[in-house]
Parts: sequence; structure tokens; C-alpha cells
Amino acid sequence: MSQSRFLKAAATVVFTAATLISTTGCSSTVDGYEPDTFRINLQAEPPSLDWQTSTDSTSFDVVSNLMTGLTQYNNDMKCEPGCAEKWEVLDGGKHFVFHLRKNARWTDGKPVTAHDFEYAWKRLLNPATAASYAFFLYDIENAYEYNSGKIKDAELVGVKALDDWTFSVKLKRPAAYFLYLTAFCSTCPLRKDIIDKYGDRWTEPQNIVTNGPFKITLWKHEYKIELSANPHFFEGPPRLKKIKMFMIPEQATAFGLFENNQLDYIDNRSFPTADVERFRSSPLYRSLPLLRCSYIGFNVKKKPFDDKRVRQAFSMAIDRTLFPKILRRGERPAYTWIPPSLEGYSEESKSESDPQAARKLLAEAGYPEGKGFPLTKVLYPQREDAKLVVESVQEQIKKNLNVKLQLEVNEWKVYLDILHRDPPQMFRQTWGADYPDPETFMNVFTTRNGNNYTRWSNSEFDDLVDKASAEQNQKKRAAMYAKGDKLLCQDEVPIIPIYWATQNTMVKPWVKEIGFNAMDLQFFRKVYIEKPN
Amino acid sequence: MLALILKRLLTAVPVLLVVATLTFFLMRMVPGGPFDADKNLPPAIVANLNAKYQLDKPVAEQYVIYLTRLAKGDLGISYKYVNRTVLDILSEAMPVSLQLGSAALLLAVIIGVPLGTLAAVKRGTWLDVAAMFLSTAGISVPGFVTGAFLIFIFGIWLKILPVALWESPAHMILPALTLAFSPAAYLARLTRASVLEILEKDWVRTARSKGLSHWSTVMKHTLRNALVPVVTVLGPLTAILITGSFVVEYLYAIPGMGRFFVTAVTNRDYDLIMGTTLIFAALLIVTNAIVDVAYQILDPRMKVEG
Repeated sequence: MSQSRFLKAAATVVFTAATLISTTGCSSTVDGYEPDTFRINLQAEPPSLDWQTSTDSTSFDVVSNLMTGLTQYNNDMKCEPGCAEKWEVLDGGKHFVFHLRKNARWTDGKPVTAHDFEYAWKRLLNPATAASYAFFLYDIENAYEYNSGKIKDAELVGVKALDDWTFSVKLKRPAAYFLYLTAFCSTCPLRKDIIDKYGDRWTEPQNIVTNGPFKITLWKHEYKIELSANPHFFEGPPRLKKIKMFMIPEQATAFGLFENNQLDYIDNRSFPTADVERFRSSPLYRSLPLLRCSYIGFNVKKKPFDDKRVRQAFSMAIDRTLFPKILRRGERPAYTWIPPSLEGYSEESKSESDPQAARKLLAEAGYPEGKGFPLTKVLYPQREDAKLVVESVQEQIKKNLNVKLQLEVNEWKVYLDILHRDPPQMFRQTWGADYPDPETFMNVFTTRNGNNYTRWSNSEFDDLVDKASAEQNQKKRAAMYAKGDKLLCQDEVPIIPIYWATQNTMVKPWVKEIGFNAMDLQFFRKVYIEKPN
Repeated sequence: MLALILKRLLTAVPVLLVVATLTFFLMRMVPGGPFDADKNLPPAIVANLNAKYQLDKPVAEQYVIYLTRLAKGDLGISYKYVNRTVLDILSEAMPVSLQLGSAALLLAVIIGVPLGTLAAVKRGTWLDVAAMFLSTAGISVPGFVTGAFLIFIFGIWLKILPVALWESPAHMILPALTLAFSPAAYLARLTRASVLEILEKDWVRTARSKGLSHWSTVMKHTLRNALVPVVTVLGPLTAILITGSFVVEYLYAIPGMGRFFVTAVTNRDYDLIMGTTLIFAALLIVTNAIVDVAYQILDPRMKVEG
């Protein structure tokens, strides 16, 4: 073949390929709006759709739309009737009796009964299930004992189906937050016959039965989940016919798909920081504060943070207003541990920046102008936001207290391992609410809680949290939590709350009735698609 | 040749055993475990989890349990993806990576080898300079930059190709190009160097002096000999490409197995780490055996010792 013929042939191949590429591409890219279909990005594969072994928000985003518990959250994070149409609280808050609605149905048409709840709750507590969220039910009589293997007989656990439509739950002690737990995915009912029949494969789309607004029709692992409307849902089938949940890990890619009308809704998982700033004024943009707080913790057993004046000085030396400017995702400065939207929040618990007072306190603690201050390590996980936060803390502490901090970064699991075994003097950590109640925040820093990496132990605080969690009078309860929060943020300072996270979203104009909530739970039962003009 | 293949397959067993042993103990030495999470679990629950996955047993006993299961073809279960076996996960992801990797390999060869040959034959001309500029760029520019660039041009700006996802053959084009870019560049450089070396050989001069045309000399007498080093790298390259690329799969949201090489480690998903490592090692052994066979076809003088 001569050179010119060779080049001519090559050019023909390239041209043909380019033509084929452009025509095949055109048919599948600019999809626009899809009638009655809602397309979102989960970002990752849900590790499990067994709602009793799920522990992560991705799985819960799917399960929240597949299942309904005894109660269900509305977008104000209040418990509404779910499978239970009403309930009674007896014995000073120690005994709950749930009356189930008779029109709640599984996707195969069978009724949802109290026996499904009894089976589910006992399975959740069964040590063989190895469910991480089994501790949610530890307030129930003999629940901890059964889950930890101290007793073997599940019949001793304080849950009982009195008949098909009545479910009784007896607690060890009153728990004011207990009702919230009945809306949580882990406590949703289960069908014994399905699990017996399919074993470990019961969550696959062809086997699973659910009782929520949608049912799962496709699960292409690591790629996509499709849900369709459940015609048996007790509120009536939702208006959406289909939800497509993609698993697109890269934010920029997901954002590109949103821009190309191939996704209808994106949130933080698909929203690069640069684009949050760019689109903040767009009519498609919405944001809302989340019940997730980032904080700097001190190991109070390690010098020099065994002296509360040093901890107080550090807290006063940090200007929380800087973090939203650095992180640029609409974060809100945190001055208390209890968020402003929950009971127990009090302006009086706030810990604000005062560098002058901070320097004075540090001098009183024996470190005037930071002199003689021991080498202090700050541990943080390998994440961009964590890095920016600790670098800012390092700079502010140097500027305001003349103390040098040494930053130590670690891969996520190594970081957790260090926190669990031997927390350093300072660390950066976050906490997200399990339910919209101050108890989920305050319990973290009680002596017995495994998430209390500060090693701080205060009997007054423990006592307040214990009493508040059982208190039925909301006013008294809020006062107790406010007192506890002041101990935590002003008086003892084992932690410095620094900012509250924000959910940044963009929604296509044809998506209607999409709700947002501070728990970041995604409920799509009321969403519908309206043809754009 | 059959004896060579059999010998290669037999030596694979001890090699895989060494790989399995090293990986097993190395991953256990890394701090952190599969159930370490943002929220620390109560000790009773950690005990239940460890008992369920037999992590409460001594490491040596866990190793024996693993090898016993492996001998029966059981690659274990995932600690992260509840109720899914490693075999489930890899058998769903591998065909996707295989498809994408094969397309990328094909592209890399049909772009890289002609480009390298052309550059060698036209040495010192603008064609050579342009080809080597492209290949240097291909080697130096990371996959995520190439991918992002291609997405922007063809997906967002021109809107002629899908931005991402794995729905139709059109969805394969950009990821395959991204994945092929760097190996094509490498193959182009390798081919160029090899062709230049062969062009200096006596038999090439003889062919020319016999009056064979320039391109006939290149195609018939040079390229076949110049391909030996190219084939050598094609072995490991094939194993790398068909087991997926974390970057490309991540960028284009492709459900392949490349991501598991990274996420299995970050999740401390022990059995999945073992599974991905062993499969990669096995593929490497197989592709290297194929390379050895290919040597003998390309140049019968080469006798590979088993």
C-alpha cells in the first residue's frame, strides 16, 4: 500500500468512526425531563438493604422510601402515624402500646401485622444478626441482656404482639426520645417467611417485600437502583412512577449530568464546592442546616488539657465565623453542642471568641504568652474539609495564644483506630444526629459512651443527661439539657463545637413537593414531576 | 508449547499461595478494622460482629480457615456489602471491566503501534515530533485530567457523547479513550524505539537493496521483529486494563472492579482485598504465559525456558 493510500484509508476510518460516535451519542445524551421519573445520585452502593444491618446514610436513603415503621417522620422531623395509626403511653412513659392500621400492606398484598414487628425487633436484637443499631432498643426490658448474650430466651425481651394489630413495648425506664426510634429504618417490620425462604438473598429485588411508598424493581450493584410506586401503600400509591438512583462517585461528573438534565436533584454528594458558590443565587439552589456538628475534642487525661483553663482558653481563642468562609459550603458557626433547632438550645450556653480573655486564662494556667506550652498534636482524618479546619485552628491558636500545634493526618480507618485506642491531645471529629432529639448529642459525652474520645467524665453531666432522657415534662427536660450544654461548652470544655454542616441542593424546576429535613433523610413519597412549560 | 503452558500453570499455584499469604498478613497488620466507623459501637455489638465474621479467632486460625475455603473455590464474604460474597461482587464487576479494558487495549494498540511506527519511519520530521509530543502528553497527563477534559469537550460542550454512566455502547467511548490514552502513548514510544533499532539491522538493508519498497520493508521485515518488546509489555498491560481502573470507573460512574482495589483496602474489607489481589495475580500469570507463547510465534528462534 502506498503512503497516500494508507493515509486515505486511515482518514476514512477516522471519519466513519467520528460519524458513528456523534450519531450514537446524540440519541442518548440530552434526555431532558423524564415523565413521572425522578433521577438522583446516591453516590455509592448501599452496603445493605437489610434495614436491620444497614448503618449508613446511603442505605437509609433507599430504605426510607421502601419502608414505613410504626411511625414516620414528616419534614419537620415530627413523628406522624405510620403503620401504627395511634399509640398509648402508659406507666409513666415505660410502656408503649401501638395500634396498627389494618390497611397497611406489604408489596405482595399481605397485611402488616404486629407479629412482623415483634419478629423484626427480636431479630434486630439477636446476637447472630450482629446488627450495629441493635443498641437503639437497649431501653427495652432485657434487650441489652439478650443482645449481649447474657440471656438466650428472646421471649424475655419486652416486646410482644398482643394480637395482629396491637404491639406492646415495655421499657426499663422512661425514654422521652423513644418514639423517634420507631420511625428509624432499623426498627421497621420484617417478614419472617421471606427471610426463612430466601436466607441471605432476601434483599434482592426479586425476593424482597416492603411496605413503604415504593418497591424496588432493579438493583444493578455499584451502578443503579430503580424503585417503582407501591400500589398497596396505605396512603395510596405515590404520584411518581419511578425513581432512578444512580451511584456516581465523582461530584463533578454528577454535576455535569445534572447540567445535562440527566439528574433531577443533587445534594452535597454531587455538588462541588466551586459550583456551590457559583450557583448560590440560582433559583434551583436550596440549602438547609443539618443536625451534624464538627468539633475539636481534647483528651482531658493528657497534659496540658487536664487543666480546664487551658481548654477554655483554646475555645475562646477560636473564631468560629472563619470556618464557613474557609469551607464555603454554607456552614454555620457552632457555639453550642445542642443545635439551635432542638430543645435544650440556649444562648446562655454559648462559648464565644475572646482572645484577650483566652490569653489571660492561659497565663493563669501557667503558660503566659504561650511560654512553656508542651508540644501538642492535633489528629485529623485525610479529608479536605478536615485539613482546612485544623489548619485554621492551628493558625488562630498560634496568633492568639502563641502556641504551636503539630498537625497529624491519617487515613480514615487508621485515624479511627487511634481515636478508639489512644486519643491524642486534640482531634477533629464530627457527630450527626441519629434522631432529632438533644439526647442523641448529649449522650455522646457521658462517661459510658464509646464515642466519648475526650475521656471526660463528669458525674453532674451524666446525671443531667440520664434524668433528662427520662423526663416527660418538655420544659424541665429542655432546662436540664441547657444546663448540660453549658457545662460542656463553657464550664468544662472537653470539646469546642466549631460548625454545623449544611445540605446544599439543586432541584430541576419540574420537580415538585420535594421536602428537605435537618436529618438529611430523603423522603420522596410526595414528590411528583410536572411537565415543564 | 503445550508443555510450556502446563508448566506455567503449575508454577502458578505456589505463586498464588505466596501472594495470598503475604496479602493476608499484611492487611491484618494495617491499623483499623472493617467495623471501625464514625460512630463507635457498644462492645456487645462489636463482639457480635466479630463472632459473625469469625474475626474473634486468632489470626493464624483465620488464615487456615481462609485457605481451606479458598481451596474449595470460596473467596469469602464482604464485610462491607452485607450478604454479598466476594464472588458475587467480582463476577458482576469483572465483565464490565473486561469490556472496557478490552476496548481500551484495542484502542491503545491500534493507536500506539502505528503512531510509533510512523514516528520511527519519519524520524526527525514534523510527524515524528507531533507523535512524540502526543505520546509524552499521554504518559504525563493523569487519567483524571484526560477524562475531565474529554467529558467537558464531548459531553458538556459539544453534547455529542454521554458525560458518564454505562447504558449503551456510546457510553463506552469516552472512558475507553481515557483508559487507552496513556498505554497508547507508552506503546508508541516503545514501538518507535524498537522500529528504529530494527531499521538499522543488516537484513533490513538487504531487503531495501533487493528493491523492496520502503513501506513493504517496514511492514514485512521490520515491524514483526520490532513487536517483541511491545508484546512483552502487553502481558501485564492486559491484566491491568481488564481488571479496571479506579480513576476511570470513578470518573465515569462505571460499575467495574477497578474501584474495589482501592475501596476494599480503605474499608478493610479483608476477603474482598484477598479476592481482588488473587484475581489480579492469576490474570498476570495467565497473560505472561500467553506472552511467552507469543514470543515463539513472533520469533521461532526464541525458546522460552519454562
